[in-house]
Amino acid sequence: MTAIVVQDLRVSRGGTEVLKGISFSVDPGSVYALLGGNGAGKSTTLLTLLGFLTPDSGSASVLDNDVTQCVSRVRQQIAYLPEAATLYPHLNAYENLEYFLDLAGRKTTQLELDQALDEVGLQLESRSRHMEDYSKGMRQKVAISLAILRETPVLLLDEPTSGLDPVAIDEFNALVRNLAGLGKSILMVTHDVYGACQVANRIGLLRRGQLVGSFDAPAGERIETDRVHATFAERATA
Amino acid sequence: MSSAVRIAREEWRQWLRSRLAVLSFAVFTILLLVTTVLTTLDVQEARHLRLHQQGQAEEAFYSQPDRHPHRMVHYGHYVFRTPPPLAMFEPGVDSVTGQSLFLEGHRQNSAMFADARAEPRAGGFGPLSPAKLYHLFLPLLIIALGHGVILREREARTLGPLLSQGVTGAHLYRGKLLALGALVGFLSLPALFSSIAATALGESLIASMMLYIANVLYLGIWAALALSVSIATRARGVALGILSAVWVLTVLVVPRVGVTSASATLPTEGKILTDMRMNDDLRKLGDGHNASDPAFAQLRTDLLAQYNVNRVEDLPVNFRGIVASKSETDLTATLNAYAEKRMKRELAQAGHLAAYGLVSPYLAVGGASRHLAGTDLETHHRFLREAETARYEFVQGLNKAHIEKLSYVDDMNRNNGEEGGRRARIDAANWQVLEEFRFTPDSANERISRATSKLTWLVLWFLVLVCFGLISARRLTP
Ligand SMILES: Nc1ncnc2c1ncn2[C@@H]1O[C@H](COP(=O)(O)OP(=O)(O)OP(=O)(O)O)[C@@H](O)[C@H]1O
Ligand SMILES: [Mg+2]
Repeated sequence: MTAIVVQDLRVSRGGTEVLKGISFSVDPGSVYALLGGNGAGKSTTLLTLLGFLTPDSGSASVLDNDVTQCVSRVRQQIAYLPEAATLYPHLNAYENLEYFLDLAGRKTTQLELDQALDEVGLQLESRSRHMEDYSKGMRQKVAISLAILRETPVLLLDEPTSGLDPVAIDEFNALVRNLAGLGKSILMVTHDVYGACQVANRIGLLRRGQLVGSFDAPAGERIETDRVHATFAERATA
Repeated sequence: MSSAVRIAREEWRQWLRSRLAVLSFAVFTILLLVTTVLTTLDVQEARHLRLHQQGQAEEAFYSQPDRHPHRMVHYGHYVFRTPPPLAMFEPGVDSVTGQSLFLEGHRQNSAMFADARAEPRAGGFGPLSPAKLYHLFLPLLIIALGHGVILREREARTLGPLLSQGVTGAHLYRGKLLALGALVGFLSLPALFSSIAATALGESLIASMMLYIANVLYLGIWAALALSVSIATRARGVALGILSAVWVLTVLVVPRVGVTSASATLPTEGKILTDMRMNDDLRKLGDGHNASDPAFAQLRTDLLAQYNVNRVEDLPVNFRGIVASKSETDLTATLNAYAEKRMKRELAQAGHLAAYGLVSPYLAVGGASRHLAGTDLETHHRFLREAETARYEFVQGLNKAHIEKLSYVDDMNRNNGEEGGRRARIDAANWQVLEEFRFTPDSANERISRATSKLTWLVLWFLVLVCFGLISARRLTP
């Protein structure tokens, strides 16, 4: 069973067509990086998969559930990390996690919370501080730990590494690879060519709502950054 | 715990952790408590004082010595309108109309001709009462705390994760409405206190509760509005702009426009002009103090014929008393005609303004509160009418004594030395014609029926806003 299948998807926002017939698929236990410039339609793709936007035509499904027909079943399978997620600034990491998990109907113990926060590498002493004092990287760690605790098979990450320093990006990418290794299917949206090559099994290059290139990692290897970068830059100036 | 309760609890935690929210909360709570306590004490004191003064006025009247009856007509008497128990929440027109009236012969004194714009003015600024605080200022606190309930989630990008993990827009809506509802409930505690205190003072439970509910409903309208705007907008500036504009329009502009349009469509002639015309009419009736005024010639002829005598001195009744009584009747008819016209006009103006309550919940709740508390224009008018009846009855009672207990001859010689003056007195027992005056509020049913249309508008506003909010919440996207 393919984790995510998108076929000839067309989506309009505010009267203009933003996605102009894109097709791609994400295999179980793999990382798919959707790479593109600002306004390419990356977030739109994720919002459509979550059922927040209705396609004009084409189809999209998550674990064989059509995203327009089985919205709630689809959402149950997905943990979604939005662009620039800050979570609740007046709550600490524990309180944030508890609140979201409560509403998701998941009861958790302090131990589970700490395990998840260990996994993403958030320092123990920060966990009880309000998140308004967190750095971007720390916030992203809590957000991803929430996705882990949701225990969903599919993760949608919208620019999770933007604004992080190189060390934090490397840590984050390692975490994503780790999660894929545990069987999670991950669709990650990014501007960052280098990061995408580090982490993805497959890269799709999105440009003005169209997939203009696709790169697969050879077994056991990384995708070559230069190749992707060349295509990205060439298309961008075209 | 249901998701609505969980979401509401979280909202409260956020408020309690926000310094600005806690500060504004504290300021309003203190303001509410202080205003409630002060107004309660004020009204309680006014109730006791006016009741006491009423008793004293009656005491003073009864204890007057033997006198010429017409001197008692001019000695006069005071009546007081005791504020109803719920005035401690909603003093209503009490603060802009007279609450006491000097009653004397041949005149209807000032409170009778209270300013024609009493009711509209009561909708504006006056001393700060709990009702005014609730109607005018608490919406601002609800706007301040309510405009961000959904926007905050949007800003923190928490809407996406929430909605994508199965929390629906409707869940969020219910939770946030519950949070704001709890806020309204908390803010309404002083109003509940006033209602309970009023009930303890003899007010009907149903009227007190209706007043409390009307105010809860009004704040609920603001909560539902703030929530809807929070859902429908994407920036705090826009949300705050819309909500402040609605506040300015419904609380300041519409009432202003209503008052102006009421006096433009139903103009009053002005007190001076009316008084001049009325005095002209009164002059035509003749001077009741002067039995030989030509205006009473016909009366004299008729009386002489009726008793078959030739001179007024031979009449078995005191002709001067008859003239005074007849004059009072005619005068009162004219005065009442003017007063009724004035009151009708005031009511029409108030009704015209009240129609604007359809677009301004502020006007609707103000009107409903005054009706329910028994501090509305209708009640003030009833006070004026009852006071006038009391006036007419004691004056005519004294005139009757004048006619029957004092002979015409003695009356004519009243200025003839000390003995003449003494013979022109009647016994002080006659002062008992004055009846005790106690003004009581209308029945609860009566007051509720007056408030019904305004309450209905409030319910409609609330339902429409909640429906609108729910519909937009169902379409909520990150
Ligand atoms: N709510 C909206 N209404 C109308 N048009 C929108 C809306 N949101 C985005 N768009 C348009 O859709 C296009 C794609 O937007 P999208 O957010 O998917 O881009 P993106 O690839 O995620 O860009 P970025 O890297 O800036 O996040 C853009 O041209 C944008 O202007
Ligand atoms: Mg985006």
